[in-house]
Amino acid sequence: MATQHSRAAARLMISPAVLLLLGWMLIPLGMTIYFSLLRYNLLMPGNNPYVGWENYKYFLTDPAFSAAIFNTLALVGGVLLITVVGGILLGLLLDQPMWGQGIVRILVIAPFFVMPTVSALVWKNMFMNPVNGLFAYLAQFLGLEPFDFLAQAPLMSIIGIVSWQWLPFATLILLTAMQSLDREQLEAAEMDGAGPFNRFFYIVLPHLARAVTVVVLIQTIFLLSVFAEILVTTNGGPGNASTNLTYLVYAESLLRFDVGTGSAGGVVAIVLANIVAIFLMRMIGKNLEA
Amino acid sequence: MARKVTTQRMALNTVLAWAIGLLIFFPILWTILTSFKTEAQAIADPPIFLGFNWTLENYVEVQERSNYFRHFWNSVVISLGSTLLGLVIAVPAAWAMAFVPGKRTKDVLMWMLSTKMLPPVGVLVPIYLMFKSLGLLDTQLGLVIVLTLINLPIIIWMLYTYFREIPGEILEAARMDGATLKGEVVHVLLPMAVPGMASTVLLNIILAWNEAFWTLNLTAAKAAPLTAFIASYSSPEGLFYAKLSAASTMAIAPILIMGWFSQKQLVRGLTFGAVK
Repeated sequence: MATQHSRAAARLMISPAVLLLLGWMLIPLGMTIYFSLLRYNLLMPGNNPYVGWENYKYFLTDPAFSAAIFNTLALVGGVLLITVVGGILLGLLLDQPMWGQGIVRILVIAPFFVMPTVSALVWKNMFMNPVNGLFAYLAQFLGLEPFDFLAQAPLMSIIGIVSWQWLPFATLILLTAMQSLDREQLEAAEMDGAGPFNRFFYIVLPHLARAVTVVVLIQTIFLLSVFAEILVTTNGGPGNASTNLTYLVYAESLLRFDVGTGSAGGVVAIVLANIVAIFLMRMIGKNLEA
Repeated sequence: MARKVTTQRMALNTVLAWAIGLLIFFPILWTILTSFKTEAQAIADPPIFLGFNWTLENYVEVQERSNYFRHFWNSVVISLGSTLLGLVIAVPAAWAMAFVPGKRTKDVLMWMLSTKMLPPVGVLVPIYLMFKSLGLLDTQLGLVIVLTLINLPIIIWMLYTYFREIPGEILEAARMDGATLKGEVVHVLLPMAVPGMASTVLLNIILAWNEAFWTLNLTAAKAAPLTAFIASYSSPEGLFYAKLSAASTMAIAPILIMGWFSQKQLVRGLTFGAVK
């Protein structure tokens, strides 16, 4: 039973965390919004005059912006499609009885623990390199022309690399959800004459709905901010072909030192992420009540 | 009623699953193998799988040329430091919310989670400028602070879901038996809370070790952890596949091993308890 005394103590115990997170959220956020309204470039020291919406106008009408929005959506959508469909299929397979299931699980999960810079560089050099990469050897072996993945299909290549990193996450969560499915329900359906397809679409898939939603929403949060993979493979190029919103804001801020435009881009990124976040919070909020 | 599975079916599953598992794991395996080749063997045509002269020279060279262990040590300090600091802040908060829940506990938890939705690039500029003026750029301390803050919501959430599973009646019983508050915490609660705290620590070390937005943007030569150090291999000169592989193998090995031990907690931690 909570007493007056213990309530006060509880508040005291929670407050450091709350204050730190509040500071972490509000101070930089306020500064970003403030900077976004100034003409502020680190290469041109001056008095940083207030310019209203100018930075936003510049950022939003820059052709690089529409390219970045398209690339961001393609990256998020492409990776989600591959990892969710792949994760369901792989989960179904791993849920079957087999020999060495534990070891296969370990193999499948491994890419998730590889740091982004390592996985991007390993794929870039040792697989996708048009001269020395394994794919080039494979093409040669099959009598095909080697393909310069990161130059000719940069976005698709990055989608491939990022999917490799996230497929384990989707698989692991969907497999966990599948294992909580009541076996007797499936057996009863089987005895009633439901075929494998019907069992999948009417029993397994509805059971997975919640896990799929969680996978989609959590991955979306992370995928909107993909950065290291782009930095070490293509630097956003060629041109803007693989620049996403995160990379564009980084380039404005820390490569072109345009604090004002970079901040305006940061605000745009926050707005975009918030639209996604609203859905995620609703989902997890429901779980808290359950 | 046990499900009947024919040996044939079992064999088919096994072959298929192993084939796919090995395919997914292959890039990691290939990196590990390449790290033991000479640079010439690493790009040999046709590729050599196992029939090469195993050598450790890449590991030696990576260390000698670039002081690898300084970056390894940076990764250790930053991931352990941010995890421990996060734990110190999170344990009391999670504890209080789990055992003395108030009307607004749920709102506070959801709000904490919402800070995680803030895209890092949205606050890149102010953090960078603040760090610059405070002299925190390219320091271990700077990264410990940032990584603590970005992972704090996950630590609090994970601890909260674990603490909530500790039955409150046990506390009451201990109190009835005359336990003091200190005795209650040390002898009753702590032993029950340790497994959950261990998983939280493990997951957080993994996340901090692999974090590659802030580490890349806030460090240069001095405090760069492995994520940033490995990125320097993106502009290579000459033959370097074997050395890249050696550097990568050492960078991922500790986390790969830790990760395999924490599979279950990973699901729980990364879904904020929504999937267990």
